[in-house]
Amino acid sequence: MKFEWFVASRYLLSRRKQSFISIISVISIAGVGLGVATVILVIAVLDGVDHGLRERFLANEAHVVLRLHGNNFFSDYQNRIDRITQVEGVEAASPVVYSQMGVFQEGQTSITDAILVKGIDLEQEDKVTGFSQYVTGSVDFQTSPLIELTEFREGETIAGGIVLGFRLASQLGLTQGDVLRVVVKLEENTGSVGSPTLFVDFANFVVIGIYESELAIYDSSIGYIDLNTAQKEYKNVGKVNAIFVRLEDEDMASALSHKIKDAAQFSTTFEFPVTSTWIDKYAPLFAALKMEKIATVIIETLIILVAAFNIVSTLIMTVMEKTRDVGMLRTLGASRGHIIGIFMMKGSVIGMLGTIAGTALGLYICWLLSTNVMRPSPWIVNACIGILSCSITGIAYQRIGPVIVTFSIFAIIFSINIFIIPFLVLSSTMTTVLIILGVIALGIFSIVGLIIPWHKLSSIWKPTSFALVLLAIGFILFCYVKPISLKELGFSEIYQMNQLPIKVNWFFVSFINLLSFVICWLATIYPAWQASNLKPIEALQYE
Amino acid sequence: MDKLIRIDNLHKSFYDGDSELKVLKGVNLDVHKSEILAIMGASGVGKSTLLHIIGTLDRPSDGSIFYEDQDITQFSENELTQFRNDAIGFVFQFHQMLPEFTALENVVMSRLIKNSKRGSSVDAKSSGSKDFYETAEQLLDSVGLSDRLNHYPSQLSGGERQRVAIARALMNNPKVVLADEPTGNIDDKTSDAVLDVLWDVNERLNQTFIIVTHDSRISERAKRTVRLIDGRIAE
Repeated sequence: MKFEWFVASRYLLSRRKQSFISIISVISIAGVGLGVATVILVIAVLDGVDHGLRERFLANEAHVVLRLHGNNFFSDYQNRIDRITQVEGVEAASPVVYSQMGVFQEGQTSITDAILVKGIDLEQEDKVTGFSQYVTGSVDFQTSPLIELTEFREGETIAGGIVLGFRLASQLGLTQGDVLRVVVKLEENTGSVGSPTLFVDFANFVVIGIYESELAIYDSSIGYIDLNTAQKEYKNVGKVNAIFVRLEDEDMASALSHKIKDAAQFSTTFEFPVTSTWIDKYAPLFAALKMEKIATVIIETLIILVAAFNIVSTLIMTVMEKTRDVGMLRTLGASRGHIIGIFMMKGSVIGMLGTIAGTALGLYICWLLSTNVMRPSPWIVNACIGILSCSITGIAYQRIGPVIVTFSIFAIIFSINIFIIPFLVLSSTMTTVLIILGVIALGIFSIVGLIIPWHKLSSIWKPTSFALVLLAIGFILFCYVKPISLKELGFSEIYQMNQLPIKVNWFFVSFINLLSFVICWLATIYPAWQASNLKPIEALQYE
Repeated sequence: MDKLIRIDNLHKSFYDGDSELKVLKGVNLDVHKSEILAIMGASGVGKSTLLHIIGTLDRPSDGSIFYEDQDITQFSENELTQFRNDAIGFVFQFHQMLPEFTALENVVMSRLIKNSKRGSSVDAKSSGSKDFYETAEQLLDSVGLSDRLNHYPSQLSGGERQRVAIARALMNNPKVVLADEPTGNIDDKTSDAVLDVLWDVNERLNQTFIIVTHDSRISERAKRTVRLIDGRIAE
């Protein structure tokens, strides 16, 4: 043990009853810790939301869409797709006929709704957007038994099956087996005289399946039909008007879109190929999230700075309180370097403990916010908090209060009998273990804390009771902090998530740790320097 | 008798804005090895200032102090710190113990400081420091505090603290122990006990003491007494 540490550690753990400095150390550590925990937690939530939204948006979204200017149809698509899939970084590509159709409902004289219709090749589409996994019902656009059945029942020609988004289906009042009549195309009748008339090209589709993803945009606007049917309806057999591409890494979308365009080998002079990426589509949202994150990091750095000022003021107070000690140490021959060392060490330890405690707390709360296990009833928690506060009071006053002891023992027995035993029957094994540990910890802690004064505890007991306090706090947090249900709050439709997502970014956690420690370390320099500048005689005479 | 300290034409002035306050106006004084020298004088005459300068805690405005022919007024700040650690022990009017440390740790502190400059460990159990703690125990034993080793200053009486302070001053085998009103803050009976300890140490270890006091019982017991009058020494 170095000399500086020998002195600094004693100052941290100041045992004198009158001294409030060690309590201030604790408050400083808590200040730094809460700052770090807040930063970790908030960033984890932001990252979680970002990641969660991304996952949902991209689950059934093509990363890059290749089209021609004016949405024109093009031929030779299968060869183009083969070339695109050979581009490094491209996972799959699928041909699509993408268009709008008007919904024509029975008894109506006008078109009531327009829906987006995607003509797809099932096998290839599944590779790009995982289409089939979101469908309940059938995806056999041509061969579904519903088609023949409906044809027979309605006596009409059926173009094929259609899979509707579930919000769209309920909006149109359609379920599986119903017929959807759509206007595919309007064509000018060039043979008529006078004002031109229009041919209306109708088609009937049978709803064979319902598409339900977690993304409202898809569920409320798109219908899926077979690629061949779409080509036939649009009289563009052998042609499509879009190629949907999935990449191995979605973040490469912008970089790869040019290569994809090139691989398709369109004529840039006549055909004007254009690509759009998912990033373009959701850019405002993710930009907003990113901006929010940057703003948060700045604010949170300020939080740590506040904590650092806390350290500065604590250390300055320590220096003031220890002025005479500094004078004596200098008189005994301690150098200025020794004094700087002592106070910087003290501050650094506060910073380090605060950072470690804050990281642990932040990660623990992240874990609690993302773990669905049954939590004990608030009654148990209240009983535990009662016992804990009694114990802390007992320790703080370092005396055996008969009332406190009686109350604690009563509270322990009471809570075990009334709350814990019935609860154990209901809950999972893991919760049971945690509760038993928590209760044992609180029990031992209470007894030790109440019967033996803190300063008489042996060196083994001190860290043990410290660990017990931590365990108790952890237990209380466990009872109260649980995943935030967006469903209960009524946000699940808006955010398309059932539970507030949490994602811990380990790189960022390390970064915040380092940042916090550096800030705290810098905060120690001035007070330590100030202490070392004290003149021994003046310091000795300081009252 | 061997000369330990020679003070040569020592001046010290304090400045408050433009006004100069001359405290020491040419002090000449020799301190011999193994003697107990009492410096008497009225309050505010500059006794403590003189002691602080002898103890390297303050620098003179002019003049020299020779410790065995070494002029310490020429020393740098770091050299002075080192010298203070090695060669000088202090006993103050107010004990000035470190409240977070036990009596034993307070005594051993100056040796730990000395040792730390060589980068050694200060742990009580490590082999290098074990001897120091034993020495400190012996010193506390010699001032009659063998049963108070692990008491904190707040658990000791005024006289006990002052005896710890004496033991602490002796820790590094100093050339001289400087005591500033060592009995100024304790009652007569306790003072006698503390002084007994001082004289006992002087006899057993041939330890040199310079005691600044206005307690006449010290000057009566001291081998030599000088008076500081108007910034100069009068034998």
